[in-house]
Amino acid sequence: MSDTQMWGAGLRSDGPVKPAWCPGCGNYAIVKAVDRALDEAGLDRRRVVLVSGIGQAAKLPHYVSRPVNFFNGLHGRAVPAATGIKLANHTLEVIITSGDGDMYGEGGNHLLHAIRRNIGLKCFVHNNQIYGLTKGQASPTSDAGTHTKLQAYGVAAQPLNPLALAIAEGASFVARSFTGLPDHLPQTMVAALQQPGFALLDILQPCITFNKLNTFKWYQDRVRPLGDDYDPTDRLRALETALVWGDEIPVGVLYRADRPSYESKLPVLASGPLAAP
Amino acid sequence: MDTNIRIAGEAGQGVQTAGDLLVEAFSAMGLHLLSSQSYMSRVRGGLNWFDVRIGDREVLAPREDVDLLIALHEDALTHLRDTVNPDGLIVYDGEAEGTVALHFDGVAQEVGGQVIMANAVAAGAVFGVLGYDVAELVDYLGSVFAKKGAEVVAANAACARRGAELMAAHAGRLQGPAPGSGPRTSVDGARAVALGACTAGLKLAAAYPMSPSTAVLNAIAGYSEQFGILVEQAEDEIAAINIICGATYAGAPAMLTTSGGGFALMAEGLSLAGMLELPAVILLAMRPGPATGLPTRTGQEDLRFVISAGHGEFPRFVFAPGDVTQAYALTRHALAVAHEYQTPAFILTDQYLVDLHATCAPLEAAPRPIDRGLVAAGADYVRYALTDSGISPRAIPGGDAIVMADSDEHTEDGHVTEDLSVRVQMVDKRLRKEAGMCAAALPPTAYRAEDADTLLVCWGSTYGACREAVDLLRDDGRGTSPRPTVGMLHFGQVWPLNADAVRAAIGRRERVVVIEGNARGQFASVLREIGALTDCETMAKYDGLPFTAREIVRRLSHE
Repeated sequence: MSDTQMWGAGLRSDGPVKPAWCPGCGNYAIVKAVDRALDEAGLDRRRVVLVSGIGQAAKLPHYVSRPVNFFNGLHGRAVPAATGIKLANHTLEVIITSGDGDMYGEGGNHLLHAIRRNIGLKCFVHNNQIYGLTKGQASPTSDAGTHTKLQAYGVAAQPLNPLALAIAEGASFVARSFTGLPDHLPQTMVAALQQPGFALLDILQPCITFNKLNTFKWYQDRVRPLGDDYDPTDRLRALETALVWGDEIPVGVLYRADRPSYESKLPVLASGPLAAP
Repeated sequence: MDTNIRIAGEAGQGVQTAGDLLVEAFSAMGLHLLSSQSYMSRVRGGLNWFDVRIGDREVLAPREDVDLLIALHEDALTHLRDTVNPDGLIVYDGEAEGTVALHFDGVAQEVGGQVIMANAVAAGAVFGVLGYDVAELVDYLGSVFAKKGAEVVAANAACARRGAELMAAHAGRLQGPAPGSGPRTSVDGARAVALGACTAGLKLAAAYPMSPSTAVLNAIAGYSEQFGILVEQAEDEIAAINIICGATYAGAPAMLTTSGGGFALMAEGLSLAGMLELPAVILLAMRPGPATGLPTRTGQEDLRFVISAGHGEFPRFVFAPGDVTQAYALTRHALAVAHEYQTPAFILTDQYLVDLHATCAPLEAAPRPIDRGLVAAGADYVRYALTDSGISPRAIPGGDAIVMADSDEHTEDGHVTEDLSVRVQMVDKRLRKEAGMCAAALPPTAYRAEDADTLLVCWGSTYGACREAVDLLRDDGRGTSPRPTVGMLHFGQVWPLNADAVRAAIGRRERVVVIEGNARGQFASVLREIGALTDCETMAKYDGLPFTAREIVRRLSHE
């Protein structure tokens, strides 16, 4: 029996599905954290939709421990698909779980406008600073100078700072976590789920196969959880904190603002979901 | 009999407002009418015109020649005076030989106190020339401006009356058709599509604005409160189609509006709708291309693109309404069959039909939602169950069923698979729908075709011009000798087609001419491809303007 046939036989929604991820990939910690966050937030999986684009991270919806609704769409297009789902039925919890290429590269424009709308989507971005599925090209968050087969002279562009971007745009919830923090990650996800509007959670994770620079140890040596004295409602301080990247990388909820969600401002949704009979 | 009135001026001079006034007032009087517009891609200046053709029986298409030209500036006179019939009349905002002078702005300023009321003066002048009672126009102005207060109503009414008075000396030079036999209701193409969608149960519309489709989006927005519809302006076209995909997955009937270049950006999203088996409805209002082409003109150049857009193979419907009544009915039908077969459906129309205004029997405005074909299912639900018809029971998230959808090739329960035998089963399942779709395809509409030796074949908005051409040739015999026996077939559904039914409808004819608004005979090639037609001529038009009946008659006899 060929490998591909075994795969087909192995894929069942009612049992554990064997992931297509490399052993040791940071995605394993993220899928565990998603499972835990859904349970800790007390969500009924029949009322949750996981939305993803394309890439290794985007396969996550297939690998959660118990079945959940999902929409695994096109590369870079998780945000508009999720927007359509949320507008059609705003009583569903719609969570985007996708990668840095998907969200910050191909889908960058959609991210900007989801923040502008402040639509109640929770956006968990697996950020390993590299394109894994296409075998190791630079991502929008790759550090300047990173050498790859394609960027033979090193990455000439400076990396995107998703947190600073989201704070500058006035996102209502901006956070960062790391796959090496087994409690911090699901807790931050739960905090994101409790925010009514758009929530961006950037998750640092290693790509053990292609990113030899930003390794698990590299992140572990640098991440510093924000202290109890940190005030996430101070936007200027949040922006300052978001600009810190190097020997120290702050993690936690960097910014939080009380803004009504997009869907709460649409009169047509007041009488119930559009998808209702 | 019928009369063609053309109001022409710069963009921003109120050409459209004056035209709209005439359309509404004439239609309330029971005249049959059809209006069409020619405008440039600019906000101010240029040369735009608005035609209102009125008749004492059904008016189906625009006319190229003009009986009454209202020229609001010099360019309008220079460029359009040759379109006026020898026994026609020109009313010009200035002094020129062979024209009647009327200083629209000056009269508006003097009588109404505002230059903006020049369009009421122009409409009044038209009533005066045609010998209609200006009270009918004044009544209509009263209802339009009621919200703006009695003063505005009175000033506009005075302008209209003065316009008519100043033309009193020329009254009767042109005989207006007798009012009274028309249906007294009228609609534009954009509103007909929008009302069809809204009554069918549309819940969400998304779009990135693009001429000429924006008129439909605006019309849906106009109905949104009445029907409880969300209209979302997407950040780009790619977002628009993915929003529609997400919304239909979640269960809301959804459609988008776009035009050629916008749709070009959506090809991947269309393919997603095909893979996920989503009832995505796409209104595509064509304009000439390629690229930006002629943004405010008309054409039928996107047929082959729409039929084959999207990577991979999946079924889709394409409907092409011929008039406002069909625009309403086929939009309802598109939503219904998209849901029945769980696959994308297009309403392929064009600038001409979207912008025209025509009298018709009142369109039913009460909601009559289509069947979304949803099932209640339990924990054992699988979204992509293999069935004989290819149609799987459709549940939506939020109930007991877990609904899993993946753009990768997937198993029945929606998980990614690289099992190549499952792949083949899934392709077969999706394509199996085509048998049902073809069997249920709407047949072409025949007009005076039974005994016709020459058969005109058309699709979409060329319907009116073709039908009128048939009447001209049969009843007037204009331009040809001996008089040919002409009939026509119009296709409101252009994909998929039932080849046997089409072949039977075409039958054996001496001459078959496929008439369409593109250079390559796209529909003719589709008919040949499915084996419904072997030998035919094509009549192509791609100058950005709609066909007229006389043009068809002329070209039939000379080509």
